[in-house]
Amino acid sequence: MIPLFGLLAGIVIGIVLEPSIPQVLQPYLPIAIVAAMDALFGAFRAYLEGTFTDRVFIVSFISNVLIAAAIVYVGDQIGVGSQLATGVVVVLGIRIFTNAAAIRRALFHA
Amino acid sequence: MDLLNQIIRQPVDPDYALAAASGNEPSKRRWKLGVLAMIIGAMFAVAALQTTRAEPALQSERSELISRIRTAEREQDQLRGRVTSLSEEIATLRTAALGDDDAARSVESQINMLDPVVGNAAVSGPGLLIVVDDSPSAAEDARDRVLDIDLQVLANGLWEAGAEAISINGHRLSNLTAIRSAGDAITVDYRSLTRPYRVEAIGDARTLQARFVETSAGAWWNDLAQNRRMRYEISDVKQLDLAADPGIVLRHAGRAAS
Repeated sequence: MIPLFGLLAGIVIGIVLEPSIPQVLQPYLPIAIVAAMDALFGAFRAYLEGTFTDRVFIVSFISNVLIAAAIVYVGDQIGVGSQLATGVVVVLGIRIFTNAAAIRRALFHA
Repeated sequence: MDLLNQIIRQPVDPDYALAAASGNEPSKRRWKLGVLAMIIGAMFAVAALQTTRAEPALQSERSELISRIRTAEREQDQLRGRVTSLSEEIATLRTAALGDDDAARSVESQINMLDPVVGNAAVSGPGLLIVVDDSPSAAEDARDRVLDIDLQVLANGLWEAGAEAISINGHRLSNLTAIRSAGDAITVDYRSLTRPYRVEAIGDARTLQARFVETSAGAWWNDLAQNRRMRYEISDVKQLDLAADPGIVLRHAGRAAS
């Protein structure tokens, strides 16, 4: 429950306070969000399987976001930023779909 | 393929299983999770806000670019008008400067003969009006569109059939006129055309159409009209007025032998 409330509170805070992201970091925000979604779905699946640990979740979340942003940053420096961003989105997207399917099976048995 | 297989087979961080297997009691402090979830939510909200904000800015940038193009086109039109009036002035001055002796008269008659042929003078007379356009299915198949080469063939066919002056959508063709495509549009003299394309040709009213249909251009366009269902209408016109080509400039000048 606490994480769900946290998520809602975060959305409200983001809308109300509108913290401005530095121009330099703006291109990496969407990628970071996809990585965060991947970590969230993975955590929820682990929770349903009964193996959830917050330490692993926090570490995997932070490293996922940082690595995804770093890959895109390096790509931007060598001129293949959008291609690498696509790659990151594809890989994380596959993982999100697989996890979402497993969650659906666990929740609805369908 | 191995990479994709691995992603699909192991979508959850293997550390979850490891940590659970090591038997450490998961900590009960959930506030860290709450904070993290809050950060994710805030990130999501900010990104969504920024994307919605950026949209009007992009839109206004686009419309500003369009209006700049329009202004530049108007400016170009004005300059072209100025070119026309200045060339008329040049013609008047030239007539005055040539004087009134025999040599001058022969030069002037030569000029009068050549000007309409090269497109340096406005001409009027009977001729043909050919209207061509993309076929109705052009949106699905790019091959159903009128291409620059189709207009080139059409213009060359008209010259071959004995046309004395041709203009496409009001742009007079001269020896130096380029008919090319730029992006999605066809340009004549580097000016984009809008559909439909009206090709006007002045020539002998009795023979122009019959001779044009017999040229290879006539066959080309018959084929396009029948197989690609492009619009292709030829009509005789009693009176056509074609403006001069404003793109003709003086490239070479020398002193007349006196």
